Amino acid sequence: MVLVEDNSKVLIQGITGRSGQQVAKQLLDYKVQVVGGVTPGKGGQEVFGVPVFNSVEEAIISVGKVDVSMIYVPPLMAKDAALEAINAGIGLVHIFVEKVPILDTSIILSRAQEKGVKVLGPSSVGLITPGKVKIGSIGGDSPNRAFSAGNVGVISRSGGMTSEISLQVKNAGYGVSTAIGIGGDLLIGLTLSELLPEFEKDADTKIVVAFGEVGGSAEIEAANLLKDGKFTKPLIVYIAGKFSETLPKGTALGHAGAIVGFETTLDEKKKILKDCGAIICEDLSDLGGLLKQNLNI
Amino acid sequence: MRPSIDGLNRNYVKISKVKLFEFEGRNLFQKEGIVIPAGVVISYTSDLEQALKRISFPAVAKVQTLSGKRRKRGGVSAIQSEKEARDFVDQFLGKDFEGEQISHILLVQKIDIDYEYFLSITYSTVEKKPILLFSASGGVEVEDAPDMQKIIINPENGINADDLASQLKVSSPKKIADVAVRLWDVFVHADARLAEINPLAVDKNGEIWALDSKIILDDSGLVRHKDLNILDKGSLSSIPTDREKRAKQIDKDDYRGSAGSVYFDLDGDIAVLASGGGASLVVLDSLFNAGGKPANYTEYSGDPPAEKVAKLTEVVLSKPGLKGCLVAGALANFTDIYETLKGFCEGVASLKNKPNYPIVIRRAGVNDQKAKDFVKEFSKKEEINIEFYTEGTPIGKAAERIVELAYK
Repeated sequence: MVLVEDNSKVLIQGITGRSGQQVAKQLLDYKVQVVGGVTPGKGGQEVFGVPVFNSVEEAIISVGKVDVSMIYVPPLMAKDAALEAINAGIGLVHIFVEKVPILDTSIILSRAQEKGVKVLGPSSVGLITPGKVKIGSIGGDSPNRAFSAGNVGVISRSGGMTSEISLQVKNAGYGVSTAIGIGGDLLIGLTLSELLPEFEKDADTKIVVAFGEVGGSAEIEAANLLKDGKFTKPLIVYIAGKFSETLPKGTALGHAGAIVGFETTLDEKKKILKDCGAIICEDLSDLGGLLKQNLNI
Repeated sequence: MRPSIDGLNRNYVKISKVKLFEFEGRNLFQKEGIVIPAGVVISYTSDLEQALKRISFPAVAKVQTLSGKRRKRGGVSAIQSEKEARDFVDQFLGKDFEGEQISHILLVQKIDIDYEYFLSITYSTVEKKPILLFSASGGVEVEDAPDMQKIIINPENGINADDLASQLKVSSPKKIADVAVRLWDVFVHADARLAEINPLAVDKNGEIWALDSKIILDDSGLVRHKDLNILDKGSLSSIPTDREKRAKQIDKDDYRGSAGSVYFDLDGDIAVLASGGGASLVVLDSLFNAGGKPANYTEYSGDPPAEKVAKLTEVVLSKPGLKGCLVAGALANFTDIYETLKGFCEGVASLKNKPNYPIVIRRAGVNDQKAKDFVKEFSKKEEINIEFYTEGTPIGKAAERIVELAYK
């Protein structure tokens, strides 16, 4: 398993909000151990039987050690919520929230680094190890549609594409070991190159599929891991945004991290990846074939 | 000749979502106490006479562009007389400059420069922290300066002037560090993703001046800076198109989910409503691969309410000459497909001219069966050709299908 265990204890910050309640229900349905929720001023309430506390500290005093905290609060409150979880020493903080200002994200990540806390997100849809555990809103209320258990790791900048790729994996007759949406913001916690070593360690993962976008240097960092022998399993990379290279440099696309033309071009990225031993998926419909070729070696 | 804003042009200007003009950046500098030369902005020819009363010569006239290369291309000029100022304004104001229409000219007092430095604060995606860049050799092409210092900033502490001064490799580190602290204030107070002074100049008297500004704001930070008086910029041009303005307004009016915060027109004739930051790239790539010509790029995501999708649909389908429309996204995790496609249908229904072109939808996720039934009914009632596909049909296949229908 990657980042979490099937018995990981989960806290939901912002559990009384619309999306907080929704995700609480989804996790409970997936038999995840949701031990508590936090909404300041609403301590003492319950959401689907999950006790609500006024603060993370209060929650931990009452329910004991928490492994993961999920942040489901409005964008401008994400920083304080995440810092609360980090300061409480929760090992993994998952930030589902979109539109978190970059400055706030950098403060969250800086504090997390000091405290040795891992951060997934912001704008992360979450992660799933099918049949065992899920964190965040990944798969919504019907995770089995896209995710079946297997040996393919999935890492994606985009939440939708995490599911779409996992669906293609399923349709090709395979399944997913763990699928993770890391978020499309300019600054994110766990990056592709920080997660690959986790998948390297994971006995259930035999191959990894990564979805990247035009812009940024994440795929280049990943290529370096391959070159240095720090990731030895086959890595299939699909990078979207080819069309945008005809646009002016600097054009920002849907995700804040997807900016045309800075650092390296898409073709340069692909070449570097290829030279380092990665497998480039040019079209999603090729994915099934590529999995077949590389899983049966 | 002014190129079409709708056009795709590889050499088009370098623009981001919220990039500021030099004069807008100067205003932010001034607020934090960074010294700038006296100057006036000329937006209309009629501003010129007042401007001339406020500036003495020698002066410098600068076209206000969002691209960085204006000096090289003659957009910056030393001005010795009123006549030269008038000639400059006549030559540039309202005219095309390397693909950008010039809407403002800045006229500033000329400074006698002794040294030029480069000072910039931005984010490092590798360090995941703000980073200060400094070079004692400012000016153009500075990005490659061999002496570029890169100093990581702890975002919680900001910049300490004394600490920074001890690190800077320059003859007057205290002065530079003082400006850096103020530039940090600009960076934080405006939620910038880039705040840059190039050149930061020292004059013959040892006074330090910010002679240019380059600032890009963080879209997600704008909500806490309603007081910032910034002109709307387009995604592909300094002046947003009408459809772009309308699309962007949708998110400004309603914070739930997102719809239209990125919109730009493209040269083609197949309207696109894509879903999700990542999947939208796949949708456009697929459409190009299938031989289709997209009329626009835009996306909605994060489970927006029906009315936001309806508004975006109206904007996207208001483009003349459409031959088809593709509504596509990945298998959604939490976006309600029924809610969003109900919004799409409402948008279509409110159009003055009912679409006489085919529409292909590829959506799957929460409530998609209900959505399919609803769309089918709508299609029959309105007599519009709408085909609905779900997860069994890949995005690429849906793209091929709309191309087949639109261009047959």
